[in-house]
Amino acid sequence: MKKKFLSLLLVGVMSTSLLAGCGSSKTNEASNTGDTNEGQVATTEDTSKKNPVTIKTVSMFGGTDPNAVVYEAVNEEFAKEYDYITIEDNSQSSDEDWKASVAADFAVGNEPDVIQFFTDATANTILATDKFVTLDEIRAEYPEYAQDTMDSALDAVTNPDGVKRAVPTTGYWEGLYCNKDLFDKYGVALPTDWDSFVTAINAFKENGIIPIACSLNNVPHYWVEYLMLYASGSENYTSVPDKAPAEWVKGLETFKTLRDMGAFPEDTDTVDDAYIGQLFRDKKAAMQLDGSWFAGGVTDTENTVVIAFPGIEEQKAEAGAMVGGISSGFYITKKAWEDPDKRDAAVKFVEAHTCKSAVQRYWEAGGAISKAAVQVDAIDGMTNLAYSALEYTNAATSINAPTDSRLGQEPYAIITSNIVKISTGAVSVEDVLNEALSLYAQRNE
Amino acid sequence: MLYKRKWPLLLFIVPGLLFMFVFLYIPFVENIKNSFFDMTAIIEMPGTKWKFIGLENYKKLFVDQDVKTAIFNSMKMMVLTVVFEVGIAFVLAVMVSQIKKLQQVFRTVYFFPVVISATAIGLLFKLFYNYDGGMLNQILEHFGKDAINWLSPELAFIMVCIPTLWSYIGFYFVILLTGLSDISDDIYEAASIDGCGHFKQVFHITLPLMKPVFFTCVTLALTGALKVFDLPWVMVPNGAPQGVTHFLGTYMYQVTFGLSNFDYGSTLAFLIVILGIVISRLVGLFTKEKEEGR
Repeated sequence: MKKKFLSLLLVGVMSTSLLAGCGSSKTNEASNTGDTNEGQVATTEDTSKKNPVTIKTVSMFGGTDPNAVVYEAVNEEFAKEYDYITIEDNSQSSDEDWKASVAADFAVGNEPDVIQFFTDATANTILATDKFVTLDEIRAEYPEYAQDTMDSALDAVTNPDGVKRAVPTTGYWEGLYCNKDLFDKYGVALPTDWDSFVTAINAFKENGIIPIACSLNNVPHYWVEYLMLYASGSENYTSVPDKAPAEWVKGLETFKTLRDMGAFPEDTDTVDDAYIGQLFRDKKAAMQLDGSWFAGGVTDTENTVVIAFPGIEEQKAEAGAMVGGISSGFYITKKAWEDPDKRDAAVKFVEAHTCKSAVQRYWEAGGAISKAAVQVDAIDGMTNLAYSALEYTNAATSINAPTDSRLGQEPYAIITSNIVKISTGAVSVEDVLNEALSLYAQRNE
Repeated sequence: MLYKRKWPLLLFIVPGLLFMFVFLYIPFVENIKNSFFDMTAIIEMPGTKWKFIGLENYKKLFVDQDVKTAIFNSMKMMVLTVVFEVGIAFVLAVMVSQIKKLQQVFRTVYFFPVVISATAIGLLFKLFYNYDGGMLNQILEHFGKDAINWLSPELAFIMVCIPTLWSYIGFYFVILLTGLSDISDDIYEAASIDGCGHFKQVFHITLPLMKPVFFTCVTLALTGALKVFDLPWVMVPNGAPQGVTHFLGTYMYQVTFGLSNFDYGSTLAFLIVILGIVISRLVGLFTKEKEEGR
């Protein structure tokens, strides 16, 4: 009898241990436990009459993202203000695995109530499930929804099918970061065109400084964008042709020109983006093309500046053309909308993150240099880096969304994964572009 | 009969079997099915339908240059694994078995790399190989030499193989040492009385008596080499540099999760399983013949 009992006990323990630890999402417990600190609650309505409600939220503001701190702080304040709402948040930095898991959740009916996600072609997979509420539907019920958000920002996050669903916080730009102290030390002028760019590359090369910090094997994306934009001009760059245009080909062939000049690090084929960023911060590299998010990690904000992409030979884009925009925002799913209690909670949650004061905080957390979706107030004590970013973005002659926002992830990955081979001449640029464009056409049949 | 009633045993066996079915065999069959469709996402989203593409992905295997590189590298890794991992492990095991003092210390020291995660070893060696400030280049610079790009296309494969092979020597060392301890000391003593030296004893006593253990080690080494993934992926992701360090596992991962080409990734996964089965069968046949011929 003892043996039987022991067997059953063991089976029970094993089964329990297999199931344990399945849920790991962070919970902001805001439900009324009876000992809520009165001073902390500043409700604008009588929350005691509301039914307790739990909303599942997901965002890209996780990990080391500078927005994560603000996101969590806003969630905590929200939880204190609306003590009947419990937030089950599951945020993390965006990568391919995360995107795949989000898509899987939407496919199997496990979508969250609110999600902060991409609004461009990256969202096509989950948009196909038709599980989001449109902005018009929300505003019909809540006329003041997203009232602080600028119309231009809402236009920028219109989904590829022409419908507005998301409310954004901040946008981004991509620009050329320069260690100005290295330029001064070696008597090199900041590049403004292809010729001065080549002069700078040669000067740094001669002095043992890596001219351009870039990992061709890991994140060549910024270079892909600017080389194609400047080779083809805004109009051709923002269109999706059937066959590889000569200008796109020419743009990407510049990778080989730059590699042959010795512009990239010796180990550009093997290192990752974090290592490259460190090379730049350690003043071992003079220039790095990166996004506005890179500014947050720059330590020497007095000697680092952001400038416009200098350009390429016989470029078609106007000087000052910029890659950037707003490409993410908060969505409310139909699952939350169709539940009367969750509907109100979800709307309040999105408003808490997209109101003027919250966006101001997101903007400041990103170094006060990104593009905000609301009218933000300038801050005192801006660094040289922030000033240069402000000058750069104000002087932009055009703002162009990157290629992946039009092609979608899968065709775009064909281009980026072949950049090392393009830079060595191992593959034909035309073949790579045609493969990507043909897949795009296939996906959009 | 140890147990008269079998049902308590079933209680322990069935959950494991169910687990295998749910998390291994069903996904495996699903994976084969997926390789015949053009998958637009990792799972079929409501409102979308995947197109049946038949054997397209399998035809692609024959023209994909990266697949050839990956298969070739995996084959090279198999040979290197048998020669260096099992070979070095055997030499070490023979030497350690000859000593009585400190044997436990050597066992622990040689086995230690096995318990360190491959990711940690990969990161460690990545720091050794770094062109800028890496340990090897710091040593070279100390002696007034120029820095070397240790992960250049010419050197990368060897540089990846070194930690991959080194980290598993201890595993085979322990298996072989256990095998050696099973050989009776009387045989060695008799051989010594007949005038057979230590070196000859290895060839005429140890090697023939260790055949079954060797065959186990070779089977484990060959199938293990086919699954190499974590260490190369940490050191040289995406087959860097220039695709020369692709192994079947790393290429499958890149295609599936880097390029989001899930159907072709499924095809590569199936290829890995097929190759694994073929190789283990071949090794099985070879060892069977040898054992029968003994």
